[in-house]
Amino acid sequence: MARMKFLCDAERCIECNACVTACKNEHEVPWGINRRRLVTLNDGKPGERSISMACMHCNDPPCAAVCPVDCFLQTADGVVLHSKDLCIGCGYCFYACPFGAPQYPRTTDFGSRGKMDKCTFCAGGPEPDGSVEEYQKYGANRLAEGKLPLCAEMCSTRALMGGDGAVLADIYQERSLRRGYGSGAPGWSTAYGRNDRGSPFTPGGPSTGGA
Amino acid sequence: MLVKRSSAKTAGGKRSGLVAALADSLESGVSRRGFLRRSGLAAGGIAAVGALPGAMIRKAEAGPILPNVEVVTRKNVCTHCSVGCTVIAEVQNGVWVGQEPGWESPINQGTHCAKGASVRELTKGTRRVKYPLKLVDGVWQRIGWDQAIEEIGNQLMDIRKASGPDAVFWLGSAKFSNEGAYLYRKLAAFWGTNNVDHQARICHSTTVAGVANTWGYGAMTNSYNDIQNSKALVIVGGNPAEAHPVSMQHMLRGKEHNRAPFIVIDPRFTRTAAHATEYVRIRPGTDIPVAWGLLWHIFENGWEDKEYIRQRVYGMDEIRAEVKKWTPEEVERVTGAPGSQLRRVAEALAKNKPSTVIWCMGVTQHTVGTANVRALSILQLALGNIGVAGGGANIYRGHCNVQGATDFGLDVSTLPAYYGLAEGAWKHFARAWDVEYDYLKGRFATKDLMEAKGIPTTRWFDAVLAKPGEIDQPSPLRAMMCFGHGGNTVTRMPEMVKGLEKLSLLVIADPHPTTFAAIKERRNGTYILPACTQFETDGSRTCSNRSMQWGEKVVEPIFESKDDYTIIYLLARKLGFADEMFKHITVEKDRPVPEDILREMNRSCLSIGATGQSPERLKMHMKHQADFDKITMRAASGPCAGDYYGLPWPSWGHPEIRHPGSAVLYDTSKHVMDGGGVFRARFGVERNGVSLLADGSYSKGSEIEDGYPEFTMAVLKKLGWDKDLTPDEMRVIQAIGGGGAEVDNVSWQTDLSMGIIRVALKHGCVPHGNAKARAVAWNLPDPVPVHREPIYSPRPELVKAYPAIEDRRDFRLVQLARSLQFKVADSDLRQRFPMVLTSGRLVEYEGGGEETRSNPWLAELQQSMFAEINTKDAERLNIRDGAWVWVYGPEDGSKAKVKALVTDRVGGGTVFMPFHFSGFWQGDSLRGNYPPNTDPIVLGEPVNGVTTYGYDPVTFMQETKVTLCRVEPA
Amino acid sequence: MKTPQDPPRNGPALNPLQRRDILKTLGLGAAGAAAAAVLPAGDEAQAMESPQEQVKARYRETEHVKRFYALNRL
Repeated sequence: MARMKFLCDAERCIECNACVTACKNEHEVPWGINRRRLVTLNDGKPGERSISMACMHCNDPPCAAVCPVDCFLQTADGVVLHSKDLCIGCGYCFYACPFGAPQYPRTTDFGSRGKMDKCTFCAGGPEPDGSVEEYQKYGANRLAEGKLPLCAEMCSTRALMGGDGAVLADIYQERSLRRGYGSGAPGWSTAYGRNDRGSPFTPGGPSTGGA
Repeated sequence: MLVKRSSAKTAGGKRSGLVAALADSLESGVSRRGFLRRSGLAAGGIAAVGALPGAMIRKAEAGPILPNVEVVTRKNVCTHCSVGCTVIAEVQNGVWVGQEPGWESPINQGTHCAKGASVRELTKGTRRVKYPLKLVDGVWQRIGWDQAIEEIGNQLMDIRKASGPDAVFWLGSAKFSNEGAYLYRKLAAFWGTNNVDHQARICHSTTVAGVANTWGYGAMTNSYNDIQNSKALVIVGGNPAEAHPVSMQHMLRGKEHNRAPFIVIDPRFTRTAAHATEYVRIRPGTDIPVAWGLLWHIFENGWEDKEYIRQRVYGMDEIRAEVKKWTPEEVERVTGAPGSQLRRVAEALAKNKPSTVIWCMGVTQHTVGTANVRALSILQLALGNIGVAGGGANIYRGHCNVQGATDFGLDVSTLPAYYGLAEGAWKHFARAWDVEYDYLKGRFATKDLMEAKGIPTTRWFDAVLAKPGEIDQPSPLRAMMCFGHGGNTVTRMPEMVKGLEKLSLLVIADPHPTTFAAIKERRNGTYILPACTQFETDGSRTCSNRSMQWGEKVVEPIFESKDDYTIIYLLARKLGFADEMFKHITVEKDRPVPEDILREMNRSCLSIGATGQSPERLKMHMKHQADFDKITMRAASGPCAGDYYGLPWPSWGHPEIRHPGSAVLYDTSKHVMDGGGVFRARFGVERNGVSLLADGSYSKGSEIEDGYPEFTMAVLKKLGWDKDLTPDEMRVIQAIGGGGAEVDNVSWQTDLSMGIIRVALKHGCVPHGNAKARAVAWNLPDPVPVHREPIYSPRPELVKAYPAIEDRRDFRLVQLARSLQFKVADSDLRQRFPMVLTSGRLVEYEGGGEETRSNPWLAELQQSMFAEINTKDAERLNIRDGAWVWVYGPEDGSKAKVKALVTDRVGGGTVFMPFHFSGFWQGDSLRGNYPPNTDPIVLGEPVNGVTTYGYDPVTFMQETKVTLCRVEPA
Repeated sequence: MKTPQDPPRNGPALNPLQRRDILKTLGLGAAGAAAAAVLPAGDEAQAMESPQEQVKARYRETEHVKRFYALNRL
C-alpha cells in the first residue's frame, strides 16, 4: 500500500513561495493561516538553504498523541487528518508538532483560538469526498480526484515532492547519485523514522545528513 | 462624489452575454462572482470579508467546484514574467474557480512561482478598478465609459490643436498582448507622434540595442530550456530564483545533469547565488571591468575560439587592445573581485563548452548599460558560444510580453519589427496598412518629427517640465496616456511628481489605479479607465525565448473593465481615424478581433520573421503542447511535427511554407528551413576595406558557401534567382518599386509578397544575409565598450581615469553626464552619502507592484518595504533588524522611511532596496489618495523616491543600480 | 486516533524538549497561533463518512500522478 509523504529537495528549493501560494489558491486559505511555509537556514550567507514545511503526515503523529478530544485520524495511505467538529482549539497539537504545522484562526479580539487548521495532503477531511461541506472545512480533496497536493504539483523547480513515499525516495536517490551527493531530506526521518537505512543516498539514510 | 453601494444588483455594473446571465441567475445561490461583486464594494478589503454577514462568507467560500455544474478548462499564459508559464484555468458559470498544473507545457511543465500560482486571484478582482473614474477637485467620481472617452478625446484634440500631436505621450505596456502592443503603436502613428514607449525602456532597452548592434537581433539567442544543454552557466546581474523562478528548473537540471559550474556574479548574494558553485561579489557598476577581466585570462591563455573569431567576428583585435589594460590587479582595484577567482571563472567557461552567459537588469540598468551588454556579448563571441545549443546570450526579459511589445514597436525609435523611422519604413507600413504615405505624414507636425526619435519614458517628466527652447519639439508634453504601466518605475521621483502635477491631462488605463493615481499633488484632470487583464481577453504573447503563445480568454472582463483592443478602438474612433486604422481589421461590437490584428502583423513584420506565426498555428501549438520535446522544444509527431514550440521568431515567410521557427539564433549547424541561421548583415558589407561578411561560415545546406549580403531584387538578379519569383510575387515587387529603377532596391524586408524571402530560403539562404558579428560597433558612442564610473560613483578617485560620457543631446532632450559626474566627485557628497544604493526584485511582486501588492495571497508574504543593510554597517550605525530607518538620497532632499533588514546578503557599504513598492511618500501614507477600495493591500516607499540622475547614451535607460545614500535610524 | 490498523510505532520517541529545539531551528516559533482570520466551518452537522470511509486510502496512481513522478525524474 502506497504511503503518502512529502519530501523537499533542498538542493532545488529556491524559496519562491509557489507552494505557499498554490495552497492558498487551492483551498481559499484565509489571510493569517499558512498551512505551508518556507524556512530558510543561513539566510543571506554561503550555505543558505530553504525548505518548504507543512504537516509531514508522520508515521506516529505526536499531534494525535496529545489531542485531548482524539480528533485526529490517519488514512490507510498515511495522511493525517482531523475533525474540526471535534477540535476544541486547545493548541496542544501545536506544541507537540515538530514542524509547527497546526494553525489556529483567532476568533475574538481577546486572541482565543478557533479550530485547528493544517495541511490535509489535499485529502479533505471526514466529510464525504468532494462535498461542499468538506471543502468548507478542509479545502479541496485532490487525492480523491486522482491528483496530488497542488503545492508539490506546482513547485517551480520540482523541489517539493508529494506522493507515494517509495517513489519519492527512489526519485531522490536518482537525483543524489546524479549530483554525487545528498544533502538530506529535512524532516524525513523525524516524520517517518529511520527505517530506510542501506543506501547513502536514500532520504534519512546514514550519510545524507538525515533529519 | 462616489456613492458606496450595498446592492449587489448594481454593484458590478452591466455585463452582457450568456455568462453574465448565468452568473446573475445564480446570485441567490453559491455564486462566487455574486459574492465578489458585493465584497468589492464594501469598505476595507481584507477587513471587509470579516465585516460581512457570516452567511455570505460561507457562500463565497463554498466550493471551488460545484457538483453537477459543467467545468470548462481554458489555457492561458501567466502574466507575471517572460518565462511564459502555461496557466490552466477551470471555469464554472463564467467564474474562474480552480487552477491546475499544465504538465504539457514544454516551458513550465506544470510548475509556477508564487506569482504564477496566484493568478486566479486577478479575476476575483477585490482591489481592481471597477468603473471609469474622474478626479474632480481631489475627489474620485464614477463616470460612464461614454463620458470618459468623450471628455478624454475632446481634451486630446484641444491639446493637439494648441500644441501639436507631440504634446501627448503615449505610454504602452509590456503587459499588452502582441496584438495590443502593435495596435497601440499604430494608434500613436495615426495620432502623429513617436512619443510612444513602454517598459522595455526601463528594463532591457540596452540589451536590445547592445545585442542587435552586435549580431543583428535584440533578443535572447537561445531558450530557458536550452540551458539544460549548457556545460557551464554564468549569471551576471540577475537573480532568476526571484525574478524568473521557473527558469531555475531548467538551470538546476542543467547544473545537475552536466555537473556544470554554476557561477553568479553580483554585488548581492542572491537566492540564486545560494545555489551557485561559485559566487563572485563585485562592486555595483563594474561589469565591463569584470567582463574584460575574464577575457584577459581567456586571451592570455589562448582559450578563445580562434577559428570562430576568424570566420564570424569583426574587430576582435580592437577588443584585445582594450582588454590588455585590464590586468587582474586593475580589475581587482576597480571591481573588488580577486584576480585568482576570475581566472577560475574564465577557465570554467572556456573549458566547459558550450557555456552560457545569462544576464538581467543588473547589467542593463546602468549609464553604461549598452556597453555592459556588448562586453558580455563579446565575451561569448570570443568563446565561440553564440549560435550553439547550450551556449548563447540568455537574456531574461522582464514582463510577460516585453519581448513582444518591443518587437511590435512600442518604442520611441522605431515602427513595429525594428523598421526604424526613416521614410522607407513609413512607406512600408503605409503599404501594409493600406493608407497613403502622405496621409500618415499629414498626421505629424512635420516630416522631421515623423522621422525623429521620441521622448523615452525614463524622461517623460523632464519633457513636461522643459521650457519650450530646451526640447526639440514644438511643445513640452501636456498630456500622458498611460496604459498598464506603474508610476514608480522611473528614477528621480521627486522630479516626476513635479511633472505629474504640471500635466493638464493624465489618463490611466489599467486594472489597478497605479502610483500615478495616488500622487496627491494632482487634484483634477486625471481619468482612470478600467482595463482588464490578459486573462479576460485573448491574444498572443512572446516569451523571452521568442516563442509566441496564444492565450485564451478565461472569463469575460470583470466589472466594467474592457480589454486593450476595445479601449484603443474607442479612442481611435473618438479621435477620428478608426476607419483608416482598422481598414483590414474586423471590429465586433467595438472590439477589434485579435486574430485579424495578428494577421496584419504577419503580413507586415517581415524583418524579424514574425510572419509564420499565424493565429491558427499558434492555437494549434497550444492545443498540442504535449508533442513538444522538453529540452529541444521541437515536436516529433502530431500536427505540429517539426515545429519549435511557439514558432520562436524568425519563422520566415508565409505560414503556409511552415517554417518551424528558430530555437537557437545564428545556429549554422542547421538548415535555414530547420531553424538554422547566421549573423545578420545589417551594417553594410565592408568597412575600411575589411569585409563584414562571414568568411567561409554559412548555415547547413546554403547554396552560397560563404558570407552574403541581405537579399534585395538586385542581389536576386545577380544570382539569377529572380527567375524563381512567381508572376504574382513579381507584380507586388514591381508595384512596391514603383515600376522603375527602385525595383532593385525592394528588399526581403519590404517585399510584401514575401517572394524574395521564399526564394532565399529555397536556396538554403537566410534572407537577412550572412555577416560577421561586430565586436566593434562603430555607430555607438563607445564602439569598444570601456569602463565608465557611475555618475554618483562611490570611488571619486577613479572618476578621472574612467569618466562618464560627455554631456550630449538625444531623444529631443539634454543628457548630462560628465559635467554632473565631475561635480559630484569634486563635492563632499561622498562624505554625506557614504553608502551605495542598489535596487532589485522580490519573488512575490512584479514591476511597480500595484497588481501583486493587491493580491492577498502574495501581499501576505511580503508586508513591508525594507532596505538590506550589511551586519557590520548596521552595528556601526546602531540599526537593529526590523527597525525603521531613513534612507536619504543625494538629490532633491529625497528620503524614504523603510524597515531595516540586517543581513550579509549585501556587502559592506551597500544598501539594497526592492523596487515594487509605492503608496508611501517620505514617511507619509498615500492610502487615502487611491480611489476607494482600490488601494493595494501592502503599501511602501518607492525606492525610486531616492534614486538619481544617470542615463545610458544609446537608449536613455535609467541608472537604478548605483547611486549614493545615507542610512539613519528613524 | 483512528487508524486503519495501528501501524508499528517505529519512530524515535521525541521528548518535548527536543521538539521545541526543532521548532527553534526551523524558525517557526509561536507565530502560527497568532493567525487572524477564520476558516469557515459549517455550523450544522453534516453527514459524516463512516469510520471506515474516513480512513480509507484516497490515493490512486492515475495518469495525472504518473505524469507528476515522471516530470520529477527529469
